[in-house]
Amino acid sequence: MSDTENMIVLEAVEKIYPGSSSPAVERLDMAIPRGEIVMLIGPSGCGKTTTLKMMNRLIEPTGGRIILDGDDVTDVNGDQLRRKIGYVIQQGGLFPHYSIADNIGVVPKMLGWDKNRIKERADELLHLVGLEPSTYRDRYPRQLSGGQQQRVGVARALAADPPVMLMDEPFGAIDPITRDRLQDEFLEIQRTVGKTICFVTHDLQEAVKLGDRIAVFGTGGRLAQYDSPDTVLTSPADDFVSDFVGGGAAVRRLSLLELSRLELHPIETEEKAVGNRNGTPVAEVDGSGRPVAWRHLPDRDAAGTTLVTVPLSGTVYDAVDVMLDGSASLVAVVDEEGLPQGVLHWNDLVAGLKTRERGA
Amino acid sequence: MNVFQYFSANSQQILFLTQAHFLYVLICVGIGSAISIVLGLIVSTGEPNPTRFSFDWWATGIREGSLLITAAVLTVPSLALFVLFLPITGLGVTTAIIVLTVYSLYTVLRNTVAGLTSVDRAVLESARGLGYGRVRRLLTIQLPLAWPVILNGIRVTTLISISIAVVGSIVQGPGLGQLLLTGITRIGAANAFPQVLIGTFMCLVVAAVFEIAFAIVQRLTIPRGIRV
Ligand SMILES: Nc1ncnc2c1ncn2[C@@H]1O[C@H](COP(=O)(O)OP(=O)(O)O)[C@@H](O)[C@H]1O
Ligand SMILES: [Mg+2]
Repeated sequence: MSDTENMIVLEAVEKIYPGSSSPAVERLDMAIPRGEIVMLIGPSGCGKTTTLKMMNRLIEPTGGRIILDGDDVTDVNGDQLRRKIGYVIQQGGLFPHYSIADNIGVVPKMLGWDKNRIKERADELLHLVGLEPSTYRDRYPRQLSGGQQQRVGVARALAADPPVMLMDEPFGAIDPITRDRLQDEFLEIQRTVGKTICFVTHDLQEAVKLGDRIAVFGTGGRLAQYDSPDTVLTSPADDFVSDFVGGGAAVRRLSLLELSRLELHPIETEEKAVGNRNGTPVAEVDGSGRPVAWRHLPDRDAAGTTLVTVPLSGTVYDAVDVMLDGSASLVAVVDEEGLPQGVLHWNDLVAGLKTRERGA
Repeated sequence: MNVFQYFSANSQQILFLTQAHFLYVLICVGIGSAISIVLGLIVSTGEPNPTRFSFDWWATGIREGSLLITAAVLTVPSLALFVLFLPITGLGVTTAIIVLTVYSLYTVLRNTVAGLTSVDRAVLESARGLGYGRVRRLLTIQLPLAWPVILNGIRVTTLISISIAVVGSIVQGPGLGQLLLTGITRIGAANAFPQVLIGTFMCLVVAAVFEIAFAIVQRLTIPRGIRV
């Protein structure tokens, strides 16, 4: 009965709270593949938190089975089970009387690691979540901002290197700008740690940005659709999902499309382009080769067009944002060093975006 | 004899009574606080809405019951309570200690319960999510976080006990009550006034010593992360 593909499997899991007649989660079947980020999303009160908490048995299911990494954990000791599963909640929940390093070390300490190893691990994780260990390890939670506390919360959940992380709206109480940065960092971290992550959110944008898959819940813990973000946006399974996804699905899809996957138009820089003023836009570059202004554009006045740039690691959504912001009808896509890699035109959006083969 | 003459003539006895008073309060508040804190820890583990006949359900019942009883005790005039115990435990130190201990229960119990149950729910939930069992959560998270509130309860109880301890001399309890009672019952007679004045003053000295001790204990035992 061992299932190597899936890290977490819920089989007909059900929760009826005492004193309640209708189930909060009704006979839920769901499989979470190893190494993927699965986003649980749905209207408030639909049973996302209940579902998540049944995975580590913070809430005991009233029916069904929970399989973790091939083992039935429906009846094992809950406390011991939870030490092997990372858990992050919205309000951080750091222990106010423990230093940051001690907070990160709580699970390793329970598991009996020796002191030096715990210390090293705390430093390593602080580094991973972007907090300088020498500055932060001896501080206390109240001396950290909300965003920093949430980073420590993630570090603490990762401390004993659990294969699975459960996160309940971890960035829900963070201001939008910080949240955006935390999401980017989160994806970066996941690229190095490769955990199986179950992540509750009520923010569709967040679900689309972070998820390998999205599970859309309807009221009563009904799993309405469980698919890739692209599929959820483009072909909602039923009226409920399409209402939930709402209008703007086409715009949201833009944030799924990475610029690195697109066929971009070529771009020339000044020196190379002498005598080649045909259909290729030519940019003027500074000393380090970064484009600063348009020298020549094939079909319009170069001097009157602002040169805006977007990093290659961004999405089409970012490119559109930059173009709107700069009132420019084209954008130069640049690499990490700021060197031009190509051009994306406003017209490409309507004409249909050409993608290259993945991994090419 | 004026106050100073009386003091110098009887300094040894006065200092003995002061020291006895201090120890009397220390012992009673110590025992009372220990009982209250342990009881508080046992009954405060509960969930907000426990299911019937579960451990938490009983704990909630015992908690409310003991708060009610200890509060009721506080409203009995201290003089009467000392006398009410006379038929059971007789004249002397035993009765004095039992009654003062009983008096000291409520404030510490109430503060213990309040402190333990007011710990941030997010902190408790994340502790549970990380695999903290009930007892570990109680002792390593709730207790340290509730400690400033509990300590404050002990401090208030101590101050109240210093004055109630005086009444203990009615059953021949130890401490400055003996001096004060002698003075009060013989008011108008020679030395009666200096006795009352010195007895009162030494009670203040005892209170000051306790306050200093509390300031030190507070400094030493409240975790750095939650010091204000
Ligand atoms: N401890 C509880 N006792 C009784 N009902 C609860 C409890 N927790 C949640 N519920 C109910 O179960 C349903 C699902 O709640 P929850 O899982 O928290 O939803 P979500 O996280 O999707 O907002 C809600 O109707 C809520 O009122
Ligand atoms: Mg929720």
